Amino acid sequence: MQNRIQELEEIARQIRIDILTMIYKAGDGHPGASLSVTDLITALYFEVMNIDPANPQKPDRDRFILSKGHACPALYAALARRGFFSRDELPGLRSLNSMLQGHPDMNKTPGIDSTSGSLGNGISIGLGMVLAARLTGYDYYTYVITGDGELQEGVVWEAATAAAKYKAGRLIVLVDNNGLQSSGPVEEVSGLYPILPKWEAFGWHCQEIDGHSFEQILPALQKARDCTDRPSLILAHTVKGCGVPFMIGDNSWHKRVPTAEEYQQAMRILGGPCS
Amino acid sequence: MTALGNTRLAFIETLIELAEQDPKTVLVCADSVLVVKGKEFARRFPDRFIDVGIAEQNAVNCAAGLAACGLVPYVATYAGFLTMRACEQVRTFVAYPGLNVKLIGANGGISAGEREGVTHQFFEDLGILRTIPGITVVVPADDIQVRQAARALHKLRGPAYLRIGSGRDPRADCQDIPFELGKIRILAEYGKDVVLFTNGFVVNRALQAAERLAREGIRAVVADVHTLKPLDVHGIVSLLKQTGAAVTVEDHNIIGGLGSAVAECSAEECPVPVKRVGLPDCYPRSGTPEALLDYYHIGINDIVEAARAVVRKKKT
Repeated sequence: MQNRIQELEEIARQIRIDILTMIYKAGDGHPGASLSVTDLITALYFEVMNIDPANPQKPDRDRFILSKGHACPALYAALARRGFFSRDELPGLRSLNSMLQGHPDMNKTPGIDSTSGSLGNGISIGLGMVLAARLTGYDYYTYVITGDGELQEGVVWEAATAAAKYKAGRLIVLVDNNGLQSSGPVEEVSGLYPILPKWEAFGWHCQEIDGHSFEQILPALQKARDCTDRPSLILAHTVKGCGVPFMIGDNSWHKRVPTAEEYQQAMRILGGPCS
Repeated sequence: MTALGNTRLAFIETLIELAEQDPKTVLVCADSVLVVKGKEFARRFPDRFIDVGIAEQNAVNCAAGLAACGLVPYVATYAGFLTMRACEQVRTFVAYPGLNVKLIGANGGISAGEREGVTHQFFEDLGILRTIPGITVVVPADDIQVRQAARALHKLRGPAYLRIGSGRDPRADCQDIPFELGKIRILAEYGKDVVLFTNGFVVNRALQAAERLAREGIRAVVADVHTLKPLDVHGIVSLLKQTGAAVTVEDHNIIGGLGSAVAECSAEECPVPVKRVGLPDCYPRSGTPEALLDYYHIGINDIVEAARAVVRKKKT
């Protein structure tokens, strides 16, 4: 177990290098959120999910929806490292002939189960996928990563009530609770907090973890998987810009491209190539 | 007195027939099961009936999730709540990925508003959907065409919108004329002085207007443009060329729907005098269907007058 956790930490480190390299080379993208979801995505794609890069459409695969689609550099890096497509695609991010759109596109990129990026919609699409599993006789899980700011969208709560009604076990929502949104701290922008009691009141199975600790992420995902009679939510406390100290606490990194100097500094910290 | 059909019942009876043949057929409602007469469907196929409550955005997204996993969901509720409240979900999560979701919009037009007033009268749905790439939009003339359209749309793999009415919807009495998705139908042809393009629950009015025009010597051809998207540009332009004058007749805002579509065709391919009969870009009010249509200038007199005007214009 300890070895495996070290392996996952190493994969996450490489993904963080890929994220910043993609954004630096593309000259566009959202580094802060990509870095905050990296460990959650690493756990799902390298440890938990039943997927097959050689057969990305296999019907019984687990589904994943990145509701906060702007964090897609993390997902693209994970998919490439997992073998869904070549890592040579990564620098094409957001460019005209690339398979890697500015936000996830299920028809352009192998391994993407749902188009996303318009905030708030992932949970309800995930609910549809869970209901589809019942009708098609599969027992796959559907994972959704949503931001905390994104929970301000009304459709999130429409999905919360409907998933409770349908006792949608196998729907597992991870909240990337990094505390920041585009215009500032979530607690200043809205009256969203506290988050967990709201979902508990809606009848969801709820857990709270450190979203950068594989020691906590993996058991929480296992507990969520074991709870098949109601939907699960994992409130994962994360840090926007995690892994790159000079990005932490500076929300300009929500959407910002590192300068050459900043990029090299980040690579020195992460142990990546400096050019 | 025009005979009435029930487009809501026609839809659900056809859906039950489709569900019997195709186990992938699912009905998704937003507390709209009574609106679309879906009780019998829910009784027959309880597993394939999903009601997410009064939450149209969630209904459309759930349908997207179902379709992404190979099912064929029909989201059925009021036209405006689908196309306005859940507009972005329709665009981004259904039409953009090209998912096989069918959207069924009730109370299409001012006449189908069940006397509820503006909140339940939907005269923008077609204009909104026409600007969204990749979605098929069908506006049936009556309950009989709803059945034909629903069967055709089920065979089509991809997103589609089908407009239905209040359940007391005038019959167009043109069931003998074959229906083909994406192709206009000629419903009546007195001559080639003017073409009346029409669709929806006012087709009967266009037919009556054509009859009256014939009595005064203006010979019209009446074309049913049931598929508003993709538009049968070839068929429309051909009639524009043959007649040299056109009137559009629809239960929708004159902006964005059939009138706009025909005017766009005419402007680009065959400029001729065109007049649009429809809701003149204003908010209607409560009232009985026939009285409303007359009050808001979608009366038989309005169609006749518009036809006279374009024919006059053509001659000068």
